Amino acid sequence: MKNRLKVLRAERDWTQADLAQRLEVSRQTVNAIEIGKYDPSLPLAFRIARLFKMPIEDLFDPDTNT
Amino acid sequence: MNTNDDPPRGTSSRERDRRNRWRVTIWALAWAFSFAAVTLGIKKEWWSSGVTLAAVIGTALLGLATVLAYRLFLRETDELRRKIEVEALALAFGVGVFGGLSFWLLAVSGAVEVKDFAFLFVAMILTHPLAVVLGYRRYS
Repeated sequence: MKNRLKVLRAERDWTQADLAQRLEVSRQTVNAIEIGKYDPSLPLAFRIARLFKMPIEDLFDPDTNT
Repeated sequence: MNTNDDPPRGTSSRERDRRNRWRVTIWALAWAFSFAAVTLGIKKEWWSSGVTLAAVIGTALLGLATVLAYRLFLRETDELRRKIEVEALALAFGVGVFGGLSFWLLAVSGAVEVKDFAFLFVAMILTHPLAVVLGYRRYS
């Protein structure tokens, strides 16, 4: 599933570790989501959406594979 | 109060994982030490049957504590780590059950001669950390 996490993170000048700390997950999880190797759970997807203040469907595109 | 610009304070997931892993390690080492001591004690006939029974029950309780500590680690760790750990557990379980039963069939058929199946436990114990390492590589 494609997502905009890396772009949004870069816009805020955050490292993967910064984002991981804000989401309370490991840096590996952030990296795996960004490169499309791991799809987050629904609660984590909501946390990401809340953090970036945008709807989930603007963050994740379920119709495409990375 | 946390804002989007302030990362959450308090115990980080990394610190929590480290603490929980440490707990699992301590209980597992205590269990392993107890298991080895009880096995030796039984073979050398150090104790009466009552003491042996108490030692076996004590070892089983240490094993239970290890399982509960590992369950706590799985519950509190972040979701990707949990996925990797659970996949590794599934692989270790598969090696133990299906590999063991296949080997048992070979032993029953007389194709191989087996004195005991202790090596299966060793195979399971080795499979899990190997699968965890491979899991981390797969998702990175």
